[in-house]
Amino acid sequence: MTAETIYLLSGAGLVGLAFWRLGTSGDVIRRVLALNVLAVGIAMLLLAAAQDPATVDPVPQAFLLTGIVVLVAVTAALLALGERIGGDCDE
Amino acid sequence: MSTAFDILVALGGLACAGIALVAGNRIGSVAAFVIMGFFVALAWVRLGAPDVALAEAAIGAGLTGALLLRSANRLGPVREAGVPIAVHGIAACLSLALAGGIVWAFATGTAEAVYPSLVAARVGESGVSNPVTAVLLNFRAWDTLLEVAVLVVALLLVSGLAPVRIAPAPPSELVLPFLRIVVPVAVLLAGHLLWKGATAPGGAFQAAALLTGGGLALALCGLLGAGRRTGHVLVLAGLGGLALFLAAALGAAILTGGLLDYPAGSAKVWIIAIESALTLSIAAMLVSLFLGPSEGVRDDR
Repeated sequence: MTAETIYLLSGAGLVGLAFWRLGTSGDVIRRVLALNVLAVGIAMLLLAAAQDPATVDPVPQAFLLTGIVVLVAVTAALLALGERIGGDCDE
Repeated sequence: MSTAFDILVALGGLACAGIALVAGNRIGSVAAFVIMGFFVALAWVRLGAPDVALAEAAIGAGLTGALLLRSANRLGPVREAGVPIAVHGIAACLSLALAGGIVWAFATGTAEAVYPSLVAARVGESGVSNPVTAVLLNFRAWDTLLEVAVLVVALLLVSGLAPVRIAPAPPSELVLPFLRIVVPVAVLLAGHLLWKGATAPGGAFQAAALLTGGGLALALCGLLGAGRRTGHVLVLAGLGGLALFLAAALGAAILTGGLLDYPAGSAKVWIIAIESALTLSIAAMLVSLFLGPSEGVRDDR
């Protein structure tokens, strides 16, 4: 099994886990965590798909770097909103 | 050998993600998330993406973990309304189907890699030799400009919400000697990463993440000054980075006729100037996002 396949499976697993939790949890922090896990899973999929032993594909890497910084900004904003409404999504 | 390592890293990441999403204890769940970040960073080094791995370890695991811990402390224990077992089952089935579909799509899709040859052909003109930095600050600098704008929007939102400001406990005796070593090292490493980013893995984001770590260490020990002035300086530094990037975009447009199309021959100077400003500005914005608006803003309400 190549590294590419292993990390492809792992990325798909992370996306699945994150979606399951996003669908079943009502807790703000857990939902934000699930969103972060989802982003990591997608990043893993992109990198595994761009994997080629001969060359490095810099474009997905640049997208992911941008994505990581945007995600932390989104996380901070969501958590500030979550603190404001008191932590319950379902009410 | 390396296959066994890959499998261990992949399973470790999945297991930590599972713990992070299921654990009833908030601190345990955030700790598992941070450890997942380090497994994932290792995986990305194995996938040939050290730039992304550095950013994930510093921002994805470090800073996001700190943000989550801060909010966990404010929101208290997990409050889960019991979801019917049927909903769990349906969600699990749908997620499994999605994961299976993703694996099938990625395993059977055969797309030609378009970008590597295009980037390799033009990287000589970009002014830097690290292809990732070339894409971020030259070929697709427009994306990076908008990303900084997203940070500014998030900062404005957080300022508007005016969350409770962190009240740091007075540092104990061992903290100050520790800070005297860690903070200067963080600043030095940030400068190193920023400069090396032109030719090797590193760059503005990774350097900014390190500076943020140093800034948060100072702030959490009450040494950064919680007053109105520090908050204003941080916000101004954040806005200044975006302003400078915009000015560079317009300046380049006037000089060459293309937005963010740097004059031939001096691209490296432009990139280093923009990256330096971005490092300071992103670090300032990330620290402000963590700390919340300054005291002055709250007093005015």
